[in-house]
Amino acid sequence: MAKTSRIPYNIKIQKRLYYSRKLSILTTFSAIIIAFGVAGLFFTIIGLNPLEVYSYIGGVFASPTLLLESFKRAIPIGLAALGLSIAFKMNFWNIGAEGQMYMGMLASTGIVLLHVYYGLIPDYLVLSLMILAAFLTGGLWCCLPAFLKAKMKVNEILTTLMMNYVAMYLVDFLIYGPWRDPKGYGFPLSVPFPEYSKLTVMFGEFAYGGLLLLCLTAVIVFIILRYTKLGFELKIVGENIEIARYAGINLSKVVTVGGFIAGGIAGIGGLTIVSGIIGRLRPRASPGYGYTAIIVVLLSALNPWLIIPVSIFFGGLFVAGDILQATLRIPGAAVEMYQALIFLFIVIGEFMKRYKITITRGVVE
Amino acid sequence: MTELVSLKGIVKHFPGVLANDNVDFTLRRGEIHALLGENGAGKTTLMNILYGLYRPDSGEIYIEGRRVEISSPRDAIKLGVGMVHQNFKLIPSHTILENIILGLKEVGFIINYKKISEEIRKLAESYGWRINPNAYVWQLTAGEKQQVELLKLLYRDARILILDEPTSVLTPQECRILFQALKRMAREGKGIIFITHKLDEVFAISDRVTVMRKGRVVITKETSKTDMSELAQYMVGRPVLFSIQKERTQPSGEAIIIKNLKAFNDKGVLALKGVDLVVKKNEIVGVIGVTGNGQQELVEVIAGLRKAAEGSILIDGINIANSSPDRIIELGVAYIPPEPLKYSIAPNLTIVDNLFMKAYRYKPYSNGILINWKKIYKKADELIKNFQIISPSLSTKAKSLSGGNLQRLILARELSGLIGDKIPKLIVAAYPTKGLDIGATEFVHKTLIEYSRKGSGILFISEDIEEALMISDRVAVMHDGRIVGIFKPGEVDMEKIGLMMAGVQVVPAI
Repeated sequence: MAKTSRIPYNIKIQKRLYYSRKLSILTTFSAIIIAFGVAGLFFTIIGLNPLEVYSYIGGVFASPTLLLESFKRAIPIGLAALGLSIAFKMNFWNIGAEGQMYMGMLASTGIVLLHVYYGLIPDYLVLSLMILAAFLTGGLWCCLPAFLKAKMKVNEILTTLMMNYVAMYLVDFLIYGPWRDPKGYGFPLSVPFPEYSKLTVMFGEFAYGGLLLLCLTAVIVFIILRYTKLGFELKIVGENIEIARYAGINLSKVVTVGGFIAGGIAGIGGLTIVSGIIGRLRPRASPGYGYTAIIVVLLSALNPWLIIPVSIFFGGLFVAGDILQATLRIPGAAVEMYQALIFLFIVIGEFMKRYKITITRGVVE
Repeated sequence: MTELVSLKGIVKHFPGVLANDNVDFTLRRGEIHALLGENGAGKTTLMNILYGLYRPDSGEIYIEGRRVEISSPRDAIKLGVGMVHQNFKLIPSHTILENIILGLKEVGFIINYKKISEEIRKLAESYGWRINPNAYVWQLTAGEKQQVELLKLLYRDARILILDEPTSVLTPQECRILFQALKRMAREGKGIIFITHKLDEVFAISDRVTVMRKGRVVITKETSKTDMSELAQYMVGRPVLFSIQKERTQPSGEAIIIKNLKAFNDKGVLALKGVDLVVKKNEIVGVIGVTGNGQQELVEVIAGLRKAAEGSILIDGINIANSSPDRIIELGVAYIPPEPLKYSIAPNLTIVDNLFMKAYRYKPYSNGILINWKKIYKKADELIKNFQIISPSLSTKAKSLSGGNLQRLILARELSGLIGDKIPKLIVAAYPTKGLDIGATEFVHKTLIEYSRKGSGILFISEDIEEALMISDRVAVMHDGRIVGIFKPGEVDMEKIGLMMAGVQVVPAI
């Protein structure tokens, strides 16, 4: 008689050799839905009816005025995300879109002030110069960590994150100090931007001009990644640095130039906040659009076309946050929490997608 | 019961591949059983099933006559099955002892280091190995690491040992030590499965041999009742030529002149201590030697991937020491690095991307800013045909190609004159046939010889002495960062080559 022994359950995590596009899309959507579910649980705990909260959120996308507002919010988010898509393509983990946006705001406000205070720039040149300045400043802000990474292997996650605070406090300093509007009753605000320096000069409504800008940028990013020498180099650097070196790619040049463009686009995103949404510079002008952009770009799998609708979704969430705050008196942080939940579940989904989990039980007779 | 293991009708599918197709296999007590086949023949898959890493789609496993289900390596170890993988699974920052007892419940909560250390030492000594159980794994040579892997299994009383291509990382000396130990284990009654694709090893060590091809067992035979050419035919399904008819072309002019080259390795130790070497046009110079004597550093310095500390490398009179890799590529140096997946193939990129990884930036494929994909795809189609790369499409990811096809892809990229429409002046090929099956090896040899005839100078680094003697016009022996001797194949016998590899100067080094 053979001895029979049972071997306990085995949970086995196996790397999948391949995963389909379908699985990829499925996990992304599941992440969003599970995040909704968990957020709903939270709303229930604080004594709200989650269905009511959801209906407010859904309502944002059903009402034309609120949708237009969502578009506006989507523009800086989308631009920052497009910049990030270039950085992430080369495995440059830029957490600094927020800071690069602040530098974009700072530069464009600087141009306006030169014009308003000193009359140095003719009216018709102001907006173009603002765009140029925002691009260059945002670019430089990202270029620096990129250069440090390429030359000295300094971890970009730390440098870009820290430089966010430098940029944010620099804006605080200027706006509480030398840049404060003398006629502003002491509020920390810059002078209001003149009409011709606002993005509303196109189509009279910021949302339309801004969306056009966003789409154009998406086209440019698509072309860079797909059809240029730089795009090909970014791809190889992102894949494997050793191989890029072997192929004769000038690493520091590619990383620095790629970083510059990524930061520059985020800088223009910053410009759209002051020159599109607010119409002047104030402290903390971005409620974290640069961080939301990270979630957007990961959800879009670095695809510039997908970035546009995904940004609109997140733009809508920001609007919903404001409404929930006003109507149900939920703290605005609730929406940020929801965003963080989506991010968390995307990361988990990423794992589930790559690995197959099986539970088996072995038997020895 | 003399059968330790019996596998019956094993079937295993992977997406798009039938890796094991109704495989039967037996292992007897006290035998060394060679499992022979080209890459992708299904040897490793079969053994991973026996070791519980994969579950078969169907089929039965018997161990010592009992039907078993093995669903994890833990089950396998309980049943006495142990496996040494090609890539060692040891923790470098831990000691040998810690690696051996890792995961063992029997050692208890408080570890009696002294006792275990003594046990391990004794166990090692019984196989003629001298190791210090308290040495750290990072200090060990590849051969010693393998001994630790084996000790790990023996300490767990494994009776069935599976070794996956165990000699691929060893020097000839280390191979001998391993073979002696394995024979001793077999005498003790253990069963050993020895996975390999090298024919000479089959005859050096095994009692029986099973040949696999395309997921099936072609034949199982007593090793003494067969010969190399028969096995080779079973492996590839067609007769193989073991020697290459090589028409010698007269070398003319120098392709590269290396003078007193010195360079440091990654740990900051001088690895090249003054290399002098000349490769002429139309000439293949083989460099042999025990791995780790500066070969890797030499090729990296030539390719511009490593700084030269001293000395010069002249190509057409231009010193390329410490030039950037792209400048060296433009001067007509093709480089086939060791370990393609680490140094020269981006597995997640497509075949086209990998083919044009160097040429994308030059005319006519780029105008300086944009890339002309149309031209690239057209040329890629041509290369795929010329170099016989088998793949479903140009946009297939490189990681789905087999080893032989990857090497063909690298040859296509490096040799086909994508840059400047010329054949390379110098081809630096580092271990280009390592891990390839017979068919792919033959293709690499033929291609290199063809280019040497066309006028390229070829620096061919190999760890296979026979191979180097076969295709080279001259052979240089490298030891401790220097060339210790250079000779024409046939001038020097094997014994002297062995002496040179150990650092003894037998023939002039110029």
